[in-house]
Amino acid sequence: MNSMVLKSFLGLRKSSPETSHFAVHQKHAAISFPQKLKVIAGKTSPKLQGRNLRVAIVGGGPAGGSAAETLAKGGIETFLIERKMDNCKPCGGAIPLCMVGEFDLPLDIIDRRVTKMKMISPSNVAVDIGRTLKSHEYIGMVRREVLDAYLRDRAKENGATIINGLFLKMDMPKDKNSPYVLHYSGYDGKTGGVGEKRTLEVDVVIGADGANSRVAKAIDAGDYEYAIAFQERIKIPDDKMVYYENLAEMYVGDDVSPDFYGWVFPKCDHVAVGTGTVTHKADIKKFQLATRKRAEDKINGGKIIRVEAHPIPEHPRPRRLSGRVALVGDAAGYVTKCSGEGIYFAAKSGRMCAEAIVEGSENGKRMVNEGDLRMYLEKWDKTYWPTYKVLDVLQKVFYRSNPAREAFVEMCADEYVQKMTFDSYLYKTVVPGNPLEDLKLAINTIGSLVRANAIRREMDKLNV
Amino acid sequence: MQLQAMSTTMASFSPPSRFTATPSSSSSSSSQHSIPHLLNAFLPLRPRPRPKNTPLLLFSPLKAASDNGVGTAVELPPPTEQQAVPEPPPPAAVGTNGSVGGAVAEEVKSVVSGFVDPRWVGGTWDLKQFQKNGNTDWDAVIDAEARRRKWLEDNPESSNNENPVVFDTSIIPWWAWMKRFHLPEAELLNGRAAMVGFFMAYLVDSLTGVGLVDQMNNFVCKTLLFVAVVGVLLIRKNEDVETLKKLWEETTFYDKQWQATWQEDENSSTSKKE
Repeated sequence: MNSMVLKSFLGLRKSSPETSHFAVHQKHAAISFPQKLKVIAGKTSPKLQGRNLRVAIVGGGPAGGSAAETLAKGGIETFLIERKMDNCKPCGGAIPLCMVGEFDLPLDIIDRRVTKMKMISPSNVAVDIGRTLKSHEYIGMVRREVLDAYLRDRAKENGATIINGLFLKMDMPKDKNSPYVLHYSGYDGKTGGVGEKRTLEVDVVIGADGANSRVAKAIDAGDYEYAIAFQERIKIPDDKMVYYENLAEMYVGDDVSPDFYGWVFPKCDHVAVGTGTVTHKADIKKFQLATRKRAEDKINGGKIIRVEAHPIPEHPRPRRLSGRVALVGDAAGYVTKCSGEGIYFAAKSGRMCAEAIVEGSENGKRMVNEGDLRMYLEKWDKTYWPTYKVLDVLQKVFYRSNPAREAFVEMCADEYVQKMTFDSYLYKTVVPGNPLEDLKLAINTIGSLVRANAIRREMDKLNV
Repeated sequence: MQLQAMSTTMASFSPPSRFTATPSSSSSSSSQHSIPHLLNAFLPLRPRPRPKNTPLLLFSPLKAASDNGVGTAVELPPPTEQQAVPEPPPPAAVGTNGSVGGAVAEEVKSVVSGFVDPRWVGGTWDLKQFQKNGNTDWDAVIDAEARRRKWLEDNPESSNNENPVVFDTSIIPWWAWMKRFHLPEAELLNGRAAMVGFFMAYLVDSLTGVGLVDQMNNFVCKTLLFVAVVGVLLIRKNEDVETLKKLWEETTFYDKQWQATWQEDENSSTSKKE
């Protein structure tokens, strides 16, 4: 089914229109079979006279920071607009192993290396996963303020201009070569003040300003469904903290969340206990209490030092690109289902978008157009679509109901499952795996689901 | 409060020992007047008069008010009533429990200690306690697990590292599941299929004159048979049709959300010139 989807998908993609008269022909062709149209966009765009391409990135998180670095390295005049330089974005803070390598992150950014996870089912069946991890493999826990600042500073070192300001609105260009005019309030590092109204003229805009993106609103990108993640940072006694030294926990159950999970993640010197939901946002406090109750014995005696909440997009926005404006990261909606992971995909999408701009503009010498930015979307969808789809299927199958969650936790006890899960999480590739083992896994999954649902039917009989 | 008042009145009327000797009758002379009086007082409070409970009700105020000497004989009816209630046992003072009528029916959901069961040992079911005729009674294991899960759903508990739950449903052999869940349903479905099949075979025969063996050789009939079998398997309740439609929508919904940005491009390309 995956390949079927991809094929029809490819057909649509190849029809990226360079001129309008192509579109009609391509719309017909796209449905039936993919055309071998390689649109060499940008190369037909005019050369810029006397200056380099100017790009503004709105938002200085992982997406903005990595995009700024790649653009600056590519010789493009880059402006990064961030409203709060020391922002502690509420976040799970987990990064996969591949991110450390791909983005050359220094190891001291990582507060903790999680090498064990515990999955706890609705009936408190606890399964330890992580046995299959090799000694050099781990999930990194970072503080967002540390990571974001590092990426921004590195971008600055490479030549990007960091502007401390709040993006207000954007004037659309009148034609293909006119600039975008961004209006923002410049703070210049001063906290609390209104800020000075300033404008900035650029040729390309990258919206990396997160789930409530203003850039997305400016280009009418459309809305997405989002989950509310609610988290409490709890400082627990030292002897209890030893248990969470390199272990994170995941609680599943209707009491904890009807469509997501509750978690206890270790941070630098405290734990973050939280939960999230899409469908029952009004009950989030109730779910949080239930999560705390389930972890009660392990976090007893802890003090809540901070309460935070943030939206998590559930799927990409209907429109991720318009004219010479592209969205990346949370602003585009690149958060996976099932695990709710966003940091890596934000950083990677920022980098990919920047690479597309660098390539399309030949290192800043030419103007770019929508077709160049479409290349980034194409590459992104092709590379990560399988990952997103698999996680979506997992969420649909295993987060449906309590029996499904029981089956999920039962399956996690299997070593093959653990190996596959960690391999795909840590390295961000959907590994095909051994077909015989896959078959065994499929049979075991069905068995677990059938058993859990059978017990559920018995439970319903008890009620009546 | 009323019970307490009643108990003091009763205590003043006659010595408690008289009541223990005559549990269900009101033979003691001096108290003959008081018991019907008491009964009348209790009757309006009770939804339906249950003679078996009368001694319980009469005894319970006594239990609340009197000392342990009486208590020993009185203890017998209450515990038997309480055993019918699974877990947890309600708090000891049944007498002070406001529910005068039917002390058995209500389960007090006050401070509960957690899931407790003598067969639940060390975070899993102790199969040795499920023996029946020398073999493990798997049905009882399934029942026990269902009860445990139901209990935990209604009263979520903290997960504990000292007493981890390690029960895995796969220890129950496949044939136990099959016998209990699959076979009854299979019987039902096969019965339906047989009825529909017989009727359809008869109908087709009466309409076209084609006998059963010739029907089986016909392609159209084979297709219809296949459709009938699949239909019986997938659609077992009326709600299943809706469920199947929703499931189909679900499988493709995420794909559509991802492709939205490409659809937009197609529509806008004809109107907008980039």
